[in-house]
Amino acid sequence: MTIVACSLMLIGILIYVFYPERHVESQTQKTRLEYLRERKEVLYDNLRDLNFEYRAGKYVEEDYAAQQGILETEAAEVVAEIDLLEAQPR
Amino acid sequence: MPTFGSFSLLLALALSGYTLLAGAVALRQLATGARARVTPEKLAETARRAGIGSFVATTAAAFALVWAAFNNDFSVAYILHHSNRALPGPYKFAALWSGQEGSLLLWAWLLAAYGFVLRLRHKVDVKLTAYASTILAGIQVFFLLLLNFAAMPFSLVGGTVPQDGFGLNPLLQYPEMVIHPPMLYLGYVGFAVPFAFALGALMMRYPGEKWIHITRRWTMVTWLFLTCGIFLGAHWAYSVLGWGGYWGWDPVENASLMPWLTGTAFLHSVMMQEKRGMMKTWNVWLIFSTFMLAIFGTLLTRSGLVSSVHAFAQSSIGSWFWAFLIIVLSVCLFTFILQRDHLKADNKLESLVSRESSFLFNNLVLLAACFTVLWGTLFPVLSEYVQGNRVTVGAPFYNRVAVPIGLFLLFLTGIGPLLAWRSSSFKSIRKNFVLPCIAGLVAAVVVIVCGVHPWEIFTTDGQGSFYAFFAFVLAAMVVTAISAEFLRGAGVISRHTGQGLLASMVQLTRRNTRRYGGYIVHFGVVVIFIGIAGSAFNQSKEQELGFKESLNIGPYRLECQSYSQDSNANYDTEFALLDVYRGGKKITQLAPEKRFYIASQQPSTMVANHSTLAWDLYVIYAGKNPDTGQPIIKVFLNPLVAWIWIGVAIIVFGTGVALFPNMTAALAASRNRVQSAAVADALPARGGD
Repeated sequence: MTIVACSLMLIGILIYVFYPERHVESQTQKTRLEYLRERKEVLYDNLRDLNFEYRAGKYVEEDYAAQQGILETEAAEVVAEIDLLEAQPR
Repeated sequence: MPTFGSFSLLLALALSGYTLLAGAVALRQLATGARARVTPEKLAETARRAGIGSFVATTAAAFALVWAAFNNDFSVAYILHHSNRALPGPYKFAALWSGQEGSLLLWAWLLAAYGFVLRLRHKVDVKLTAYASTILAGIQVFFLLLLNFAAMPFSLVGGTVPQDGFGLNPLLQYPEMVIHPPMLYLGYVGFAVPFAFALGALMMRYPGEKWIHITRRWTMVTWLFLTCGIFLGAHWAYSVLGWGGYWGWDPVENASLMPWLTGTAFLHSVMMQEKRGMMKTWNVWLIFSTFMLAIFGTLLTRSGLVSSVHAFAQSSIGSWFWAFLIIVLSVCLFTFILQRDHLKADNKLESLVSRESSFLFNNLVLLAACFTVLWGTLFPVLSEYVQGNRVTVGAPFYNRVAVPIGLFLLFLTGIGPLLAWRSSSFKSIRKNFVLPCIAGLVAAVVVIVCGVHPWEIFTTDGQGSFYAFFAFVLAAMVVTAISAEFLRGAGVISRHTGQGLLASMVQLTRRNTRRYGGYIVHFGVVVIFIGIAGSAFNQSKEQELGFKESLNIGPYRLECQSYSQDSNANYDTEFALLDVYRGGKKITQLAPEKRFYIASQQPSTMVANHSTLAWDLYVIYAGKNPDTGQPIIKVFLNPLVAWIWIGVAIIVFGTGVALFPNMTAALAASRNRVQSAAVADALPARGGD
C-alpha cells in the first residue's frame, strides 16, 4: 500500500513537471517605456493625493502651490519622454 | 505512514533542488542569451512546476505526521514523545508543531504553500516571479535538508513500541496553542516572500518600484500573521504561565518581536520608495534584515542558545541555522555590492519637517527598539563569552529603554499623517496641530484628576505613573489626529456627493483602503498602548482561603465556596470555587485550578479570569498549605488588559481594510480622460495616500 501511494505520487508529479507544454510565458525585461508609464501613474496619484488633502483643508495655499508645481513639472517631463519613445519606430 | 512521510520529504527535497538549479540555469541563460537545447522559458516552466510539486510532496509529509498522531502510531519517535492516547483531538493536531521536527516540518510546509501561491500567480510578472521562485526554492532546500538529515520527523522507535506516548507538554495544552504557533510561523515564513522578491528585483536590476506594489499584500498579510501570532502568544502566556503578566521579555518572545519591528519599519518606509523613489538601499536591507531576524528567531527557539520558557524545542541543530544565516548574509551582501548603483535614490530628503522625515524617524526608532531587544536577548550569551558567567537581562532593562521608545513611536504615529510630503510650512503645522494639542491638554487634565500624577516620579518610584500619563495624553492626541483625518476627508466627499458624514467616511475608506486601513491600524495601536499603560497600576494579593473565608482586592471580594480535586484520563486536578462579589452583589464564580498531567508527569496552572473593560480579576490556584490542606489563592487586579486584545482586533480589521482593493472603477474611467499632468487637478478626489 505504501509503495503504491509513493509510486502514484512520484509518477503524478513527474508527469506534471515534465509534461511538454506548448505555450510557455516569455520572460521579457521591462522596457523604459513601461517603467515611465508606471512612474506617470505614481505621479498622477501623488497629484490626486495633494489635491485631495488641499481640498480637505490640510495645507495652506503656498505649500499646495509649491508642491503642485514640483509634481506637475516632474509629470510633464515623464509624459514628454513617453511621447518621445512612443513616437519612435519599433 | 512513516515510510510514506519520509519518501514525501525526500521527494520534496529533490523537487525543490530541481526548482533551484533549473530555475537558476534558466535565469542565467536568459541573462546571458546563451543557446541551449531546451529553451530557458521551458526550463523555467519545469522549475516552476517542480516548485508546485514540492508543495504537494511536503503536504503529503505533513499529512502523514498528523495521521500518525491521530492513529496513535507510537512507532514514530516524534509521536511517542509529543502525544498520548488520551490527548484531545485538537492537541493531537497541534502535536505537529509541538516539537523540533514537527515545527520544522510546519515551517517547510508553510514555505511550500507560500511558494505554491506565488508560482500560481506567476503571470503578475513572469521574470520577477521566476527569480523569487528560485530564491524561495533555495530556502526550501535548506529546511528540507534539515528534515531529511538532521531533524527527521519520521524516525522510528528502536525495540518494542510502547503502548502509550509520553504526552504533550502541559503548557501547550491550551486552545491558543493550537493557533499561536502556526500564526507565528506564517509570519516568520511569510517574510521569505518579500525577501525573495527584493533580492530577485536587485539581482535582475528591476526597473522601477513595481516589485513593491506586487509584494505589498504579501508583506501586509505576513505582518498581520506575525502580529496575531505575537499577541496570541502574549494571551497564552497571560492565561497559562500564571504570573499575572502577558509579556515577560523572554528570549523567544523577543525573537518574534525583532522581525516584527523591522517588518513594521519596512511597511512604512516602502511608501517613500513607492511615492518618491527614496530609501531604496534602506528598504532592501530592511527586508533582508527582517528575513534574517526571522531565521535568527527560529535559531533562538531551536538551538538552546538562550534560556527560555519555550525550552521544549531545544536541540543541536543550531549549527545548521548559523551556516544558513551566513550563506543568506553572504548572498545578500554580494548581490548588494554588485548591484548597489541600481539603488540610487531618485529624490533627496528636502526638509526635516515633512512626512518623509517622520517615516525616517519612525524607522530609526523601530530599529533602535529592535537593537535594544537584540542586545538584551544576546547579552547573557555575550557576557558568558567575555566574563565566563552568564548575566541575565530582566524586564527592568527592557522597560527602561523600550517604554520611552514606544511612547516616541506613539507620538510619531500621531504627527506623521499631519505633515506634508517634501516639506511642511509653519502655517500648515499650526493649522493641523491645534486640535490634537487641545485634545492632549484636555486628556492631561482628566488623567491628573483621575489620580495619575506624573510628578510622582520625583517623589517616589513612580516611573509607571509618569509613563502612563504620557501614554494617555499621546493616545488622546493621536486619536484626535486620526479622527480629524477621517472627518476632513469625509467632508470633501460629502460636499462632492451630498452624502452624510458616515456614508462619506465609508466611501473615503473604500477609495483609499491602504491609507484609511492604515489609520485604523494606528487606532488599534493606540488602544493597545492604553492597555499597556494600565499595567502601571497593577495590584496583587496572596492568601490562604478556607471554606467561606474571603479576600478583598480593589472593588472585589472573593469568597471560597469549596475546594476539591478531580481526575480524568489526561490529568489530575485541584481547584477552588470562588464567588466574586462587587458592591455586595455576586457577579460571577471563578474556578482556578492546578493540573497534573499523567502522561508527561508535569503540572500546569489554569488561571481563572474575570475580564472587564476596566480591569481583569486574575486568579491563580497557587497550591495547597500542607498543614491545613487549604488552597493558597493569588489574585491580581490588572487594569485595562482587555484593551490590548481589543486593540489587536482593531489592527486585524484595519489590515483587512488595507488589503481590500480600492474602489477604482470610477478612477479608471477618469484616468482615460487624462492627457497630461496639468489636468490631474480636475480628477475626482481619491482620498490621498
